[in-house]
Amino acid sequence: MSETLARPIEEYQAKDYKSDLKPIWCPACGDYGVVQAIYRALAGVGRPPHEIAFVSGIGCSSRIPGYTTAYGFNSVHGRALPIAQGIKLANPELLVLVAGGDGDGFSIGGGHVAHAVRRNVDLTYIVMDNQIYGLTKGQLSPTSPRGLKTSSSAWGSLEDPVNPLLYVLGYGASFVAQGTPADMAGLAVVIEQAIRYPGFAFVNVQSPCVTYGQAEQSLKAHKAMMQRLEDLGHDPTDRLRAMALASEYGTKLYTGVLYRNPSPPPTYEVEARRRQEETRPLARPKERILEMFRPE
Amino acid sequence: MTSDLMLGMAGSGGDGIVSAGDALMTAASLEGYHAVLTKSFGPQIRGGESSCRLRVSTRPVLSTGGTLDVAVALNWEDFLRFGDELPVGGRTTVVYDSQTGVAPDRLPLPEVVPWEAIPVPIGEMAKKEAGTERAKNSVVLGLLAGWLGMGRDSLLAGIRKRFAKKGPEVAESNERAFASGLRFALEHPLREPRALESASATGARKLVVDGNEMCAAAALFAGCEFFAGYPITPSSEIMHFLGREIWKYGGTMVQAEDEIAGVGAVVGASFAGKKAMTATSGPGMSLKTETLGLATIAELPLVCVNVQRGGPSTGIPTKSEQADLFQACFSAHGDVVRPVLAPTSVEDTFAVTVEAFNIAEQYQTPVIILSDQEIAQRKETVEEIDTSAFVLVERRRPTSSELEGYERFRITESGVSPISHPGTPGGNYLASGIEHNERGAPTASGEVHERMNEKRIRKLDPLKRRRDLFRLEGDRNAPLALIAWGSLAGVAREGLALARAQGIQAKLLVPTLLYPVAEEVYREFFEGVQAGLVVEQSHLGQLHRIIRMFVNVPSGVESLARSGSNPIVPAAVAARLQKMVLAFQRRRAPEFEPAG
Repeated sequence: MSETLARPIEEYQAKDYKSDLKPIWCPACGDYGVVQAIYRALAGVGRPPHEIAFVSGIGCSSRIPGYTTAYGFNSVHGRALPIAQGIKLANPELLVLVAGGDGDGFSIGGGHVAHAVRRNVDLTYIVMDNQIYGLTKGQLSPTSPRGLKTSSSAWGSLEDPVNPLLYVLGYGASFVAQGTPADMAGLAVVIEQAIRYPGFAFVNVQSPCVTYGQAEQSLKAHKAMMQRLEDLGHDPTDRLRAMALASEYGTKLYTGVLYRNPSPPPTYEVEARRRQEETRPLARPKERILEMFRPE
Repeated sequence: MTSDLMLGMAGSGGDGIVSAGDALMTAASLEGYHAVLTKSFGPQIRGGESSCRLRVSTRPVLSTGGTLDVAVALNWEDFLRFGDELPVGGRTTVVYDSQTGVAPDRLPLPEVVPWEAIPVPIGEMAKKEAGTERAKNSVVLGLLAGWLGMGRDSLLAGIRKRFAKKGPEVAESNERAFASGLRFALEHPLREPRALESASATGARKLVVDGNEMCAAAALFAGCEFFAGYPITPSSEIMHFLGREIWKYGGTMVQAEDEIAGVGAVVGASFAGKKAMTATSGPGMSLKTETLGLATIAELPLVCVNVQRGGPSTGIPTKSEQADLFQACFSAHGDVVRPVLAPTSVEDTFAVTVEAFNIAEQYQTPVIILSDQEIAQRKETVEEIDTSAFVLVERRRPTSSELEGYERFRITESGVSPISHPGTPGGNYLASGIEHNERGAPTASGEVHERMNEKRIRKLDPLKRRRDLFRLEGDRNAPLALIAWGSLAGVAREGLALARAQGIQAKLLVPTLLYPVAEEVYREFFEGVQAGLVVEQSHLGQLHRIIRMFVNVPSGVESLARSGSNPIVPAAVAARLQKMVLAFQRRRAPEFEPAG
């Protein structure tokens, strides 16, 4: 959505976005904090729930649309981004959120991320990155560190992890941020900024898995290690610096906006609308559409 | 004089044989003939061999026909590569470039002595008149205008128009090449005249359109406002057309990063309330399968076109086949019934595409259109279609009272539940691929799963009673039956006509609805049937097998099936019927004696 469309903030409160569906997540799962941050961010933006479409794939975190009062779509593994783009292009007035896990976004659905970035449909993509497959009981994920022992890697992983931040920056995204539910208030601010950014926006959330995750990936550990980019004096318009910080993924936990393109490129839907307006005068009435096949 | 002529031409990529076919097609249409043009290419991106088949008739044509009346070979190597696609027989007039150095009595045709072989210095004439061999196709058009007595003015006008962009010299030199061909033809009359009867009686100018363009135009007419797809032969022209046209109607098109994203975006657009379509061919269908299952369980309308080509895997991308029927019907995990429709011609593609959108909207389901390369890439002359005769169906939205405590997947009498879409206050719900209850909440309850499966399948039952989705022709009470679908329906119809002309009583059933199988329709059709054929372009004879899954088919009903790229012609259908009659006569089945 465009930054000017925001409604009065007082109109909606975080609780207005919370559904009565009870989450199936394990007690103390990081995703509880993420959904709280999303409620808060949505209240900050102030759009009514029926104007929001919230799309996810498959995984623990992909249950999240059902826990909101928005129109939700809990789709199939890895395909949330294409579905969300279809929704936004079909109705650009909607606020469209996409969420899922690291497996959904960077393994089975990894091929869609680059194209969502370059197509630049105005979406907010929130990845709950826990470096593990929780729903299927603890296998390696694309962000698992090399050497990690899991149910599918009894002797340790033989692969390097994906770096989500660096990937998305490399693809040319205009808005890239990171957060952790260990700082729920900070996460809510980042998500709200992402939603307000006019174009594709990516938020990587380090969301610990309490059941299969590593001990160093806990909310407590996050609290101790996280560093706010704001506090570090990071200039979010500096893309190269953002990439340097992003390369420390896995060793450092930076929170806040890594990169924000100060001159947002045009979105697909805005360009599409322009093209529709430009070509409308060329349309034949639909009932006479076949006349274009009359040879001369 | 002839009223129905089959012409086949082949040459190298640069010879312009295909554009000559297009020019003849336009001329035929302008003069009121019925015509169908198919093009066939080798696997090369540029150059290589290319060919076309043109059938021109004073009556409606239902297939591309069988043996050629006139064959044109610019060189023999390329011509012979097309094998059965360009069959030469004992009544064929063969015209070929004398530069090939082949003597008329030594044509390199296996086991065939054609009616007449005419060497023409086509290349030399082009060089002499136009200074380049590139004008060979203009010479050929002149020859054909002379011998077929058709298109003299319109072909010349076409040449002027086509070359106008390239400057007056090019246009004039091609006109001279055309004139030299015409002169040659008039100086060398054929042993058997092939001139076409005048078509003035058949009247008005017709449309000239191929199946892919027709499908895309019909989608716009039906209200399609979103298309996403991935390039794939032989369906890409649907995307090309919509990429040009859909914006004019307020729609949006996306060339997706892959087949899965294509159908995914379409699912999203449908969720957002728009009529949406994707198009692909076999390999793409395989990739889209999971997402189509999502559309089934989320009960979202969409249309997915599969322009069939030779398979499995990459198969033969440029040739037609009907071997994706099992895939269309059964390529879903879980208990899924998904409507599958097939057009039988370019003209029929309009009605079938509109019907696909209507069924998708009415029943909130993905609908597969099984087109095939033959229909999709052939051009037909099409009579005016009265678009006002079509009713467009819109999905059932919830009323304001239904939005009170809205249940998206409410189990109703029809099985169809009112569908809201984002932006509608009070209609908020969770769409999901996970099983859900009536409100849309995820569930693992066996009881709910059973009821939801029942609802999703029951809602499609009325389709099986749609007799308008079947065409019945021939002698209603005949003991001999034909069934054919897709591009083979036209072949079967002409085969039926040939058989009936020989006094054989037979009937034909052409299903537009392939799945779900309309048991009652087939049961009635098979009453009193003792023998018959299901005619299909596949090795397995997939429709024959699918019907037998649901209906008791008389044991005398056999499969006439050949793999793609092996044309089945009307005469072969008639011959097989004749054989069946003889077999029965030997068994003294008196009802099979030919009438008269």
